Amino acid sequence: MSSVKKQKNTGRTWWRSLDEVVESPLFRKKVQDEFPDGASELLATGNDRRHFLKIMGASMALAGLGVGGCRRWPKENIVPYAHRPEGTMPGIAEHYATCFDFGGVAQGVLVTSNDGRPTKIEGNPSHPDSQGATDSFTQSAILDLYDPDRSRGVTYDGEKSSLPAFKEWIASYLPNDGSSVAVLSEQSSSPTFHRMRRAFMRSMPNAVWVTYDPLANTNERRGLALAFKGQWKTVHDFAKATAIVSLDNDFLGAGPTQVPNTRGWATNRNGSHGSMNRVWIAEPSLSLTGANADERIAVKPSRVTAIATAIGSAFVGGDGVKLSADEKAWADRVITDLKHAGRHGLLIAGASQPPAVHHLVASINEAIGAAGQTVSYTTLDSTYKTSISDLAEMITSKQVESVIVIGGNPAFDAPAELEFEKLLASLPLSVHLSMYNDETSQACKWHVNRAHWLESWSDGKSADGTVCIGQPLIRPLFDGVTPSELLATISGLATTDGQTLVRATFGAGDEAWDPQWRTAVHDGIVKNTASLESPPVNRKITPVTISDDIGVTAVFTPSSSVWDGRHSNNGWMQEIPDTITKLTWDNAAVMSPATAAQLGVKQGDVITIQVAKETVSIAALPVPGTADDVVILPLGYGRRFAGRVSKGAGTDIYPLRRNGVWSANAKKITATGDTYPLATTQMHFDIDSTPGKGTQERLPLLFREGTLDQYKEHPHFAQHVGHTMHSLSMFEEQQFEGAKYKWGMSFDLSSCTGCNACVTACQAENNIAIVGKEQVLMGREMQWLRIDRYFAFESDGHGGWDGDKLSAVAIQPMTCSHCENAPCEEVCPVAATVHDTDGLNTMVYNRCVGTRYCSNNCPFKVRRFNYFDYFRRDPLRTAGMLQVQPDYYVKSQSGGKTLRAMQFNPEVTVRMRGVMEKCTYCTQRIQKVKIAAKNAWVKLSDAQKAKDPRIALQDGAIVTACEQACPAGAIVFGDLLDKESRISKLHESDRGYEMLEELNLKTRTKYLARLTNPVDGSNGAGGSHHG
Amino acid sequence: MTTLQANQLNNTGEDPQNRPQLILNHTDFGSVTDDILKGNDAAKPPKSWWVALAISFSMMSMLGVLIGYLIVTGVGVWGNNNPVMWGYPIVNFVFWVGIGHAGTLISAILFLFRQKWRTAINRFAEAMTIFAVICAGTFPGIHIGRIWLAYWLFPIPNQMDMWPQFRSPLLWDVFAVGTYFTVSLLFWYLGMIPDLATMRDRSTTKIKQIAYGIAAVGWRGSMRHWHRYERAYLLLAALATPLVLSVHSVVSFDFAVAQLPGWHTTIFPPYFVAGAIFSGFAMVLTLAIPARELWGLKNFITMRHIENMCKIILFTGSIVGFAYSMEFFIAWYSGELYESFTFINRAFGPYGWAYWIMVSCNVITPQIFWFKKARTNIMIIFIASLVVNVGMWFERFVIVVTSLANDFLPSSWGIFEPTWVDVMTFFGSFGLFMTFFLLFIRYLPVLAIAEIKAIMPAADPHGHGHSYNEMTPETDAQAALEEGDA
Repeated sequence: MSSVKKQKNTGRTWWRSLDEVVESPLFRKKVQDEFPDGASELLATGNDRRHFLKIMGASMALAGLGVGGCRRWPKENIVPYAHRPEGTMPGIAEHYATCFDFGGVAQGVLVTSNDGRPTKIEGNPSHPDSQGATDSFTQSAILDLYDPDRSRGVTYDGEKSSLPAFKEWIASYLPNDGSSVAVLSEQSSSPTFHRMRRAFMRSMPNAVWVTYDPLANTNERRGLALAFKGQWKTVHDFAKATAIVSLDNDFLGAGPTQVPNTRGWATNRNGSHGSMNRVWIAEPSLSLTGANADERIAVKPSRVTAIATAIGSAFVGGDGVKLSADEKAWADRVITDLKHAGRHGLLIAGASQPPAVHHLVASINEAIGAAGQTVSYTTLDSTYKTSISDLAEMITSKQVESVIVIGGNPAFDAPAELEFEKLLASLPLSVHLSMYNDETSQACKWHVNRAHWLESWSDGKSADGTVCIGQPLIRPLFDGVTPSELLATISGLATTDGQTLVRATFGAGDEAWDPQWRTAVHDGIVKNTASLESPPVNRKITPVTISDDIGVTAVFTPSSSVWDGRHSNNGWMQEIPDTITKLTWDNAAVMSPATAAQLGVKQGDVITIQVAKETVSIAALPVPGTADDVVILPLGYGRRFAGRVSKGAGTDIYPLRRNGVWSANAKKITATGDTYPLATTQMHFDIDSTPGKGTQERLPLLFREGTLDQYKEHPHFAQHVGHTMHSLSMFEEQQFEGAKYKWGMSFDLSSCTGCNACVTACQAENNIAIVGKEQVLMGREMQWLRIDRYFAFESDGHGGWDGDKLSAVAIQPMTCSHCENAPCEEVCPVAATVHDTDGLNTMVYNRCVGTRYCSNNCPFKVRRFNYFDYFRRDPLRTAGMLQVQPDYYVKSQSGGKTLRAMQFNPEVTVRMRGVMEKCTYCTQRIQKVKIAAKNAWVKLSDAQKAKDPRIALQDGAIVTACEQACPAGAIVFGDLLDKESRISKLHESDRGYEMLEELNLKTRTKYLARLTNPVDGSNGAGGSHHG
Repeated sequence: MTTLQANQLNNTGEDPQNRPQLILNHTDFGSVTDDILKGNDAAKPPKSWWVALAISFSMMSMLGVLIGYLIVTGVGVWGNNNPVMWGYPIVNFVFWVGIGHAGTLISAILFLFRQKWRTAINRFAEAMTIFAVICAGTFPGIHIGRIWLAYWLFPIPNQMDMWPQFRSPLLWDVFAVGTYFTVSLLFWYLGMIPDLATMRDRSTTKIKQIAYGIAAVGWRGSMRHWHRYERAYLLLAALATPLVLSVHSVVSFDFAVAQLPGWHTTIFPPYFVAGAIFSGFAMVLTLAIPARELWGLKNFITMRHIENMCKIILFTGSIVGFAYSMEFFIAWYSGELYESFTFINRAFGPYGWAYWIMVSCNVITPQIFWFKKARTNIMIIFIASLVVNVGMWFERFVIVVTSLANDFLPSSWGIFEPTWVDVMTFFGSFGLFMTFFLLFIRYLPVLAIAEIKAIMPAADPHGHGHSYNEMTPETDAQAALEEGDA
């Protein structure tokens, strides 16, 4: 008490009584009595020690026996962080640069790790291709790491074995000189891998090396071999091109170079300097590139070749094949445009085109001066002497008796006529290195589980040849090995450790901390290692043969979701809607509406397609813009191995694909009369139906676009599309007084290609569940960010639209617009969705009871409801009453209950069933930057604080997940109170417009109208698409 | 004064000189009590009652099981999706609330307007209201995502100092339906007290005596009791009258306040009220026609009662039809792209079938009641009342589902398909309703015995010739006043 009294009083002092001032004994007693019963006894010592023990003993006994003590707490083992590694802070995420190989191109990434768990993959800003952006495959790779279906160890003949057993076996059974041994490997750009290949070939000189990748651009490699001799591939620089002519090359679509291609293309798409590039494409399917092209012609693959010869004859001679009137008109305009563009022209041919066309394209690019400007070449470090067909022959003739398959899945995707699965199964010795115990592994004797690239040391070469170094983020979860390690083991090298191998390739010094090595690992790339060349082209034209193809052509394409099948056990990729078809969980036979009408089928009707002797049954999906008499068949679906995600998803098209061709004559197509449910996320409405017409009517309001010429004439065209009456709000409008920040976002419709990278990035960042096909069919997909796709048709001249004549494809990212007058907030009865002062429309999960009224009142329908506990449900469950909660992901899995949960972003709540969720503008990322800035601010002097009362953040300091992933830079997020920020300028730019402005929503997300650059841009928006 | 014939069933004449009786074949009070309570007094209810109860009870049990399944699994067992976040549960909610509408209208408004034919139907119309509101109240409760937190919709003081969001029409709903239910229940119970006392006095078993004795709260039929009872009844009637208009107006705000095309309409409150009365009377008919057959009440619920109800159905059905056409007119007249589309799409889009079911059931079917032949043909009336019930369910389906299915952005358009759980839950709610109703007709006075007696000629021994035109539950002084006027 005396100490209390002595305390320095800063304010007025109050006493309870005068007694307190004088500290009378009576008052002391009173104070003592104020404490709870028994407290004074407890404090007592001496004679009362027994009493004290009695009381404490009783309390502890009660605590042990009472309610609290009886509760069973979940038992968990934890690992104490007794010795914190230098530089790490528990709870603070760390980022590591690494890389992985996709289709022979190293993808540079920066991986976020939370307390040792990799949780999110971003692009590596230092990497020349990525520059911080990613595609959707890269985003989804993190899920593969934690896939519960990954193989957990080495098996022999399906029985559990071990790596030492395998090594021993290999050492004793593999012939020393390698005779009758073959290695079948997928494409790789890894210098270490190729070093190991050479080491292997040295140790087994008689062995055969085969490189096979079902989607490799073999035609280009062969064409360039004709043009330059040797193994080459083309590297394009779209940023420099003003006229881009694609001969069935979906360069903006999914693929190993999608990110750099998209970035390059997008640099010159917004018309800001009064100019734009122009994209021409001739293709059979409506690809992503086609949807974003300015001038498109839909023709059969063979006609693309014909058009190529016509263009070729104008530049490098040769005989042009006779073209139809439409084709000729198109080709003539291409020629004019290419001549005009000169060295800023760019001609690119697709994998479907024969080698001769690739040779021709190289010649044309050289002729117009594009070589070395927009088009360069780089050499391939691999051997292609023996093809997989040769290998099959050798196996049949018993020349080869042992096959080591490194990666890939040839039993599933090898050319159909080889019956490779049977061949593999017939071998006495076969090995497969794979992440999954898949079709090939099951056909092979040995299965060796492969380490995920996030668990491996690796290296690789990016598109332009820049060397990348990949480091592991986590110890292999299931002790897998890398391809290089496996090769080193088989070759009998002394060191087989991944890091040592990669270091040795790099040429790092012996000391552990060679600074160059450290820098390379830290950066993820080795600077100045790009190797671009433009050697002279062999001008001798290879004659092009054009098959007369009559009837329907089957066209094989990679799937934008599962690629060649490798991503088919990835739930995010299965559930991502293809941008054009909006199809999830399946592939379908895509055809033009006219062809569908001819076959008498509509969406979901099953057809059988016969190519050569094989037939496949698959559901039809009419898509406007597809060439007539063509059936597009995406590969990679219909996996036969028992992955819990891939099971039952789609139809295997590989049986139709002979000899690795990209198109074939479909002998017979018949409608079976069966139907198959196709889970599309957007409904298909016939153009003559009421909803079909309604869509066309409102499309100009929702998706605003104009040609470059129109834009030059009326820069504000986008703001004058609809009439807006600003009406008063029923309730008092939010004023945002005293707001320090005003968050806003913009989507540039000119540069958004619809590549889906943002959608997957959002899914990875925000712990968004997948729901399974059955739920997608019911319209319950959960992605917060979606890509809306509309087809605009040409007028039929009678006030309607012609459903066969596609005039434009509208691609529009859509997510919560964070309306200032948010309709969702007004109707929530429990105030679970409310605004914060910075203008975020926040969703309070804990408060949400799930009336779903907010979603009903949301004009954009961007809210997502957890109809079930999706994280606890098997996405492939068949609806059944008794399967209530199988605890699919979270609990009771062999290999640890938390395997799937390890991917979760710890900064984002995992939502339970019954609550609504939606885009938060990545509020966790905003908070992270804000908190750091505030912490820095409080340390400032008062004078400095006064200068910056708002704690202004640097523009671009906060990057949302979607923005970060976008290779086109189409998404911008920032502070609208900062008048100098990019977002402020974009919101006030000519092209900026608000969606559904007439509803007085005051959205914080604005769209920038799309610009197109057709040759004749005077009338009407959009290019001239010929459907 | 009257042409009282034995077994006269057609008392639908409109000759003011020769007003037909509302109660047939009864001249004394005692026989009225005996006849009305015949079903209650019987030692065993008829076999048909047991059969009906068995069916209803199984359906109710199914509802219970389905709700259990729903709670364990999640609301995903229904067909609701994105964009159609509200499906069957809300359709059913509005449907049942609408049905619950006729009760208060009959008890309160017809009472205040001195429509004495109400006496024969008010009791079970009110009972129907109570049971329908119970069914209605079930749905919003179970339709939310986290059922265990449903109480957050009520303004209960809590440690978070967190109140409901008062701008939300859903919250207004909680208050409107809650008030309506409370007042309806009080009104029903209050009106039943004299009759419960009658049943107590006639009870033959101990259990019945105690049960009815408690329920009758000591009613002895003294003049003082009657005086206070009638005052209270009149006050409650006045209190309940605004509720007839308010409850469905507020329910309509769920839609009208939202900005969804097809919901955002100022016509909704009157249109919903008319529709509710429409469906409520249809349901009263659907119940009354078999009940009077089963319980032998044809002398009390006469053709005239039924005909009057048909007229109300015709009237409100026409209002509803007018509202449908006005919606279209305004959609066209506004020139608003989304609004016009919504209505064209309603009629000719993917849900056109539902729209045309609604129109043919609600607008076209009641038009047969322009004909007296149809108004007096029990079979036609019964079928028409069923058709109207179906039509009114579809009206709510059309409003809720078609508006949501195709709103602003075509990318999010969808189709709602109910699951078996949806359909069975809806049927289950009929089980709940019918179980209550069957228990009601067996254990409670199915007609307002005391009130019926008051409109009989026997209640007017002085033979003023129009005594049946006067209100019964009033004080002698009031009656005298009216007699004086006459």
